[in-house]
Amino acid sequence: MNEFLEQFLIESRELVEQATQDLLALEQTPDDDGPLDSAFRAFHTLKGAAGIVEFAAMGRAVHAAEDVLAEARAGDFPITAELIGDCLTCLDQILQWLETMEASGGPPADAEQAADRLVGRFNARSASADTTPTLTPEDHRAWIEPLLASPSAGSARTAIRYTPAADSFFKDEDPLALMAALPGLLALNVAPRQPWPSLDVFDPFACNLVIDALSVGLAAEIADHLHQVRDQVVIHALPDHRQRDGERLPDRATEILSAQLALLSEPAGDAVAGRLGSAARVIHNVLLHLGRNAEAAEIEARLAEALPTSDPEVLIAAVRALLEAQPLPAERHADEQPRVAPADAEIIARSLRVEVERIDAVVNLAGELMVVKNAIGHSARRAGLDGGTDLASALKDQHARLHRLTEELLRSVLAIRVLPLGHIFRRFPRLVREMATSLGKASRLVIVGESTEADKAVVEALFEPLLHVIRNAVDHGVEAPDQRAAAGKPDNATIRLSGWREGEHIIVEVVDDGRGIDPRELRQTAAQRGFANADALASMADDEVVNLIFAPGFSTAAAVTHVSGRGVGMDALRSSVERLGGRVTIHSRPTQGTTVRFTLPFTVMTTGLMTVESGGQAFGIPFEAVVETVRLPRDEISRLGAARAFVMRGRTIPLVVLAEALGLDRGPTDATVANTVVVDLGGQLGALEVDRIGERLDVMLKPMDGLLAGMRGIAGTTLLGDGQVLIVLDLQELLE
Amino acid sequence: MTVERDVDGSIRLSGACPQEDAEPLLRLVSDDPTAIVDWRGCERAHTAVIQILLAAGSELLGPPKGEFLKEHLAPLLAARETGAPASPAPAFMRKRT
Repeated sequence: MNEFLEQFLIESRELVEQATQDLLALEQTPDDDGPLDSAFRAFHTLKGAAGIVEFAAMGRAVHAAEDVLAEARAGDFPITAELIGDCLTCLDQILQWLETMEASGGPPADAEQAADRLVGRFNARSASADTTPTLTPEDHRAWIEPLLASPSAGSARTAIRYTPAADSFFKDEDPLALMAALPGLLALNVAPRQPWPSLDVFDPFACNLVIDALSVGLAAEIADHLHQVRDQVVIHALPDHRQRDGERLPDRATEILSAQLALLSEPAGDAVAGRLGSAARVIHNVLLHLGRNAEAAEIEARLAEALPTSDPEVLIAAVRALLEAQPLPAERHADEQPRVAPADAEIIARSLRVEVERIDAVVNLAGELMVVKNAIGHSARRAGLDGGTDLASALKDQHARLHRLTEELLRSVLAIRVLPLGHIFRRFPRLVREMATSLGKASRLVIVGESTEADKAVVEALFEPLLHVIRNAVDHGVEAPDQRAAAGKPDNATIRLSGWREGEHIIVEVVDDGRGIDPRELRQTAAQRGFANADALASMADDEVVNLIFAPGFSTAAAVTHVSGRGVGMDALRSSVERLGGRVTIHSRPTQGTTVRFTLPFTVMTTGLMTVESGGQAFGIPFEAVVETVRLPRDEISRLGAARAFVMRGRTIPLVVLAEALGLDRGPTDATVANTVVVDLGGQLGALEVDRIGERLDVMLKPMDGLLAGMRGIAGTTLLGDGQVLIVLDLQELLE
Repeated sequence: MTVERDVDGSIRLSGACPQEDAEPLLRLVSDDPTAIVDWRGCERAHTAVIQILLAAGSELLGPPKGEFLKEHLAPLLAARETGAPASPAPAFMRKRT
C-alpha cells in the first residue's frame, strides 16, 4: 500500500470518529453550534481527502452530507434524529470503504452504487423539507452544466435553482428582483416551467418560471438570502475546486507538498523512478483538487523531464517554486507566533504515529532478552555448582543488573502499547442510541474515565464483552417507559460506563438503573435446572446467586422471564475475560439496577506462571488460576467410571491427570501420594495431577501459531532459562 | 405610465416597471405580435413583466438602462425565439431566427 493511501486511511478514520462524536453531541444539544461546526469541518476534510486519493464515490457521498449540514448550519434545516442518523449511516459506509481499501489497496468496486444510495437519501431529505421534487445528481448536472458554460461561471461556489410558486405575484413577490440582489450573482438562466401557452390564454398573474443561477457566495449565505422562499429553492454547493492558479496554497496542501519534497530529496537508489512517479502523482492530484490546472500540468511536464534521467532535481525545483510562490499572510500581528515551517513542526512533534507491528517487534525483542536473562541466571547457578566461585559471583552480579534493566525495558516498552479506554468507549454512545431507539426506550450513556490507559490488547479485547453487557443493559435491564414511570424513575434511563486503574489492574464497570435481577427467580431457575440443590441455593448470598448466570448454559430467554437473555452468552463472556487474565462479577439490586464489573490486568504481555512437570515435560499454569497445591494421599481419590475426584473441605473436586489429558506417557509415579494443583475456573474448582511442581515465573507468552494453533488445551509457549520450551496450558479447555 | 404604445407602434418600457404593467404589456404584444419593444429607458422590471417578454418573444430594442437587466436578462431575451407563442424548450437553448 502506498504511503498516501495509508495516511488517507488513518486520517479518514480519525475524521469519521470525530464526526461521529460531534453528531452524537449535536443530538444531545441541537442548539449548540460547536458540534455542528466541528462535524461540518470533519465532513469537509473527508471530502478533500477523498479528492486527493481520487475516490470519487466517497467524495460524492460526503459532499451530499456536507450540503445538508451546511443547510443545517444556515438554520434552514432542523436538526432531527433522522438527519443525524443519515449522517451516521454515511460515516458507517465510509468506514466500510476504508476497510475494503485497506485490504485491497483500492476503492471498492460497488462504491458508486452505495454512494448513489447515500446521495439519494440526503437529496430526498432536503427535498422533503423543500417540497420540491427529489433531484438526483444527474438532474442537478442537467441544470448546472449550462450555467457553468457561461464565461462568468469560473469562481462559482453555489448553484441555485429557484422555482417560484405560481401564485408568487399574488404574494407580492418579485423572484427576479430577489435573484438580482443575490450575493455574488454570476450567471442567470430563466426558462418557462411549463411550455408557454399562446398569448391569448396567457395568465399574466401566474408565475411560470424556473430561475437558475450561479453565485460565488457560500451555500449558507445564499440560503440566508433566500430564506423567505426557501421552500422553492434548491441550493447546490459546487465542488470547491475553483481556486485560481498562483494563489496561496491551503495549509494542508502545503503540508502534503512539503512531504513530497522531503520524499524526493531523500536518496532513493533504484526506486527513484517509482518514487518520482508517485510523488508527482500526489502533487498533481493536490493541485487538480484545488483547481490549479495549469500548475498541475506544469508538474506533469517536469515529471516527463525528470523520468528519463531519474534525476528528481527539476521536479524538486518545481515543487519548491510552488511552495515559495506563496505570499506570506499580509496581516500578522506582532504578538502572533511566526508560522512554523512544516519541517520544523516535525522536529518539535510531541507524539509519533508508529505502526503497531513495529512496537510489537520491540516488545518481542524485549521478551527474547528476558529469556536470555533467565538463561544467564541459570548459567550463573551452574557455575556456582561447578565450583568456579569468583566467576559465579561475578555472573550473579551481572545477572542481577541485567534483570533490573530488562524489567525496566519491558515496562517502558509495554507503556508504549497502551491505549486509552476511550478508544473503545467512544463507540458505545452510538450503539446505545441505536439500540435504545430500536427498542423504543430512552437511554443515555454516561462515560467516565475514558482516559484511563491499558495495554492495547486488553483495551481491544474488552470491546466484545462490554458490547454484550451494554446490550443486555439496554435490552433487558432498562424497563419500558411505562414501567419506569410506574416505578417513579426518570424516563431517561442512565447507563454508566466507567473505567479506572487499581494497582496493576484496570476496572471497568457498566452500571444501569434498570429493573435489576431478582435473586428469588434465579434461585428457582437454578434449582429447576439442577445447578444446585434448593438448600445450597438458600444458603447462598444474593450476589453469589446472581453470579450463577455466568455458569455455562445457565439460562435462556424463555426460562428466566425477567432477566431474559441474561444467561445467553454470559459464560462465553466470562471465559473471554478470563483468557485475558481478568475476572467479571455482577451485582444487582432488584428494581434498582445492575452493575457488571470487569477486573483486568494492566497488560497481557507478561503472565505469571507456575511451572509443573508431567510426563517428562514442563508446563506452565497461569498463576491467577492456581488456588493451592495439594499432596493428596491416593486412597482419597475416588474413581467414578473413567473420571476421578476427591473431596476437599466439603467440596467435590474433579481430578484430571495432566499426562493422560495431553496423551503423554505417565512416568513412574509415587504410589502413595499424588501431587495436585487445585485451580479455580471462574468459581468452579478443578485439580490437575502432575509429577512435580516447579517455580513461579513471569514470562512473555507467545500465542501458538502455525500447526500448533489449533491445539486444544494450550494457550501458548515461552522459553525457559535452560532453553526448554514451556507450554502454557489453557485450563478452561483442558478441564471442560 | 411605464408601459405605453409609442406613436410609431413600438411598445416602450421606461423607469421601474411594476407588476401591474404585465397585464397592459400582454395586451399590447397580443394586439401586435410584431411590435418592437423599446426598453432602453427601463431601469427595473418586475418578474411578471419579464415573463411576458420571454413568452411573447417580441423583438427588443436595447440595451436597457438597468444593470441587472442589461447584464443578465438582455442576453437571455436576445437568445430566445422571436415570434411567440409557445416555445416549449427552455428559451436559452434556442437561436434567434
